[in-house]
Amino acid sequence: MYQYSEQDHQLLLERVEQFRGQVQRRLKGQLSEDEFKHQRLRNGLYLQLHAYMLRVAIPYGLLSAEQMRTLAHIARKYDKGYGHFSTRQNIQYNWPKLEDVPNILDDLAAVEMHAIQTSGNCIRNTTSDPLAGVARDEVEDPRPYCELIRQWSTFHPEFNFLPRKFKIAVTGAVGDRAAVAVHDIGLKLIQGPDGENGFEVYVGGGLGRTPMIGKLIRKYLPKEDMLTYLEAILRVYNQLGRRDNLYKARIKILVHETGEEKFRKLIEAEWQQIKATGLYLREQDIERIKGFFKDPDYQELPDTDADFENLLLSDPEFGRWADKNIDQHKQSGYRIVYLSLKSVNQPPGDVTADQMDAIADLADKYSLGQIRTTHRQNLVLSDVQLKDLVPLWQELKALDLATPNYNHLTDIISCPGLDFCALATARSIPISQAITERFDNYDFINDLGDLSINISGCINACGHHHVANIGILGVNKKGEEVYQLTLGGSAREDASIGKIIGPAFGADQIVDAIGDVLGVYLENREDPEETFLTAYRRLGQAPFKEKLYG
Amino acid sequence: MALQVYTASLLKEGLVAYLCLEDGASSWTSDIRGATAGDGDLLETLKIAAEKAERDNLIIAPYVVDVLEAENGWKATTKREQIRADGPTIALPRDASAASTTDEGRKAA
Ligand code: HEM
Ligand code: SF4
Repeated sequence: MYQYSEQDHQLLLERVEQFRGQVQRRLKGQLSEDEFKHQRLRNGLYLQLHAYMLRVAIPYGLLSAEQMRTLAHIARKYDKGYGHFSTRQNIQYNWPKLEDVPNILDDLAAVEMHAIQTSGNCIRNTTSDPLAGVARDEVEDPRPYCELIRQWSTFHPEFNFLPRKFKIAVTGAVGDRAAVAVHDIGLKLIQGPDGENGFEVYVGGGLGRTPMIGKLIRKYLPKEDMLTYLEAILRVYNQLGRRDNLYKARIKILVHETGEEKFRKLIEAEWQQIKATGLYLREQDIERIKGFFKDPDYQELPDTDADFENLLLSDPEFGRWADKNIDQHKQSGYRIVYLSLKSVNQPPGDVTADQMDAIADLADKYSLGQIRTTHRQNLVLSDVQLKDLVPLWQELKALDLATPNYNHLTDIISCPGLDFCALATARSIPISQAITERFDNYDFINDLGDLSINISGCINACGHHHVANIGILGVNKKGEEVYQLTLGGSAREDASIGKIIGPAFGADQIVDAIGDVLGVYLENREDPEETFLTAYRRLGQAPFKEKLYG
Repeated sequence: MALQVYTASLLKEGLVAYLCLEDGASSWTSDIRGATAGDGDLLETLKIAAEKAERDNLIIAPYVVDVLEAENGWKATTKREQIRADGPTIALPRDASAASTTDEGRKAA
């Protein structure tokens, strides 16, 4: 894991002190809200429906146990005892008081965390594959590149006031677990023609009111050129992005309006100017950062364990969990474990302070002291030995973190919606809870296989509904909350934007409608191996429409 | 025409507040039911009081909300404002260990 330099520490402390001064001046009335609003947003502090909301960055979703304990402490001391992990791998606190925020930021700084650039028109936290460094299908570990991007983009003076927010995701694996296609820039590590690894560069993906899949702007970018090329893209966007119209300000609109070919030429032209500048990454620059992400000292272990295998046979409950929430690890004798934040008892992505502390302890005990957050709002323990799976499962069960549903029906992404969000047009959490309660049946979920449901409480699409197999968008129709269904989206390597199936459903109808959609799939799939998405792509909208609207 | 109340967020805490006017003195309450509702001249007086509170750095982002008379006082007419007045409609996650510090929705925060 990356360790801050002395200079990083200093910079962060200065920033906290600066914000403390700003808060004090605001509370004394020496700054007006108009003057202060900008400063608080620069430090991740929003005003939401009921209270302030603080968004804390988790760089590429990687947390140490100590950092997790600090997040727990903050939840307990300054908030209402819980936090919300978002699809952008960050954490949000829904109830901080303004006067406490400088102290919260101090506590965060002590563990090398902050809330800088988690809001506003700047480059936001870079997201990545939660299985980085341990996945079997990995070409190369993306984290060193994420860290290089973090260092380059943090306080980058030229890109502090972009036309709009800017999100970058990086993956190093064949399977896309970071939704790179729906980011302003998506980088995918691949093996190049010369055998060296480099990047596919996707630009102009995004969700919101105009969802778009990123365009492959460069098929192969040598690693050494990563930052110069990103700088070229950002510079072109900064100059040409539509500052005149909020709804057209994202880079996706610029790419779309300029046309892919012309946009590519603009980037190449800019890039030629800066290619040979100080941002060019020398081998030693990359190696230095890679040093922070070296493989731990894995033990040489057999890929079998008697206790594990016995329990698999004798305890169906354990078998279900192992089937759904454990993944293969690149190292023999190790497994990746998903901690489901999608039980029937808590809103998607929410974790209490006690749970956070316990997770930190489990990470120390069983997984080399680290935790990852995922795009689907779950957590991962990435390095668990086979022999530890049984005791880990027992502890997770006691913590209500062992619902066997990873990447299945009830593993729902949900934005905060109208229960918390000032921009919302409808509630999303109660809908996710109603679906989870209705279909809280392992056999049914298991039979449906790989499936995603995502819910957003307004067209901003923070809940990624466009790229779910089954997407739900809450809208306000003459004062009533109604829910639009989109089918056929995917956030993975076969990314696609779902299509609206027809008129919206009332809050009391939407769960039945989901049941109908699932029923059509079950009736029409060729065999249980055919996933919902594959079946939908084969069948088209017609049978679903027929069932839903008759 | 529905009557209106003034709402805002308390600067220090960020929590939701509604304006009450009693005998010319203004105060802010977390309970919409006890807010002062009005139209015409009364609404204008409420506006002046809200703007003063904003200048005095007690509250931020004031705006008006339509209300109707309900059993125990005023009730917002839209779902958004009802949720804003009453707090999230879902149970907040909570630890057993935190059970002693009771939490009546957001009001106790
Ligand atoms: C304070 C609450 C929030 C506000 C005010 C907010 C605001 C917005 C807005 C305005 C957009 C649309 C941007 C555009 O189309 O240009 C957006 C997109 C997005 N937000 Fe949020 N959001 C909030 C909470 C969240 C949460 C909780 C998550 C994660 C669960 C999240 C993740 C995203 C994502 C992934 C997108 C879509 C990707 C994109 O095109 O940028 N946001 N948000
Ligand atoms: S999608 Fe809309 S309701 Fe949901 S968090 Fe984003 S802005 Fe709020």
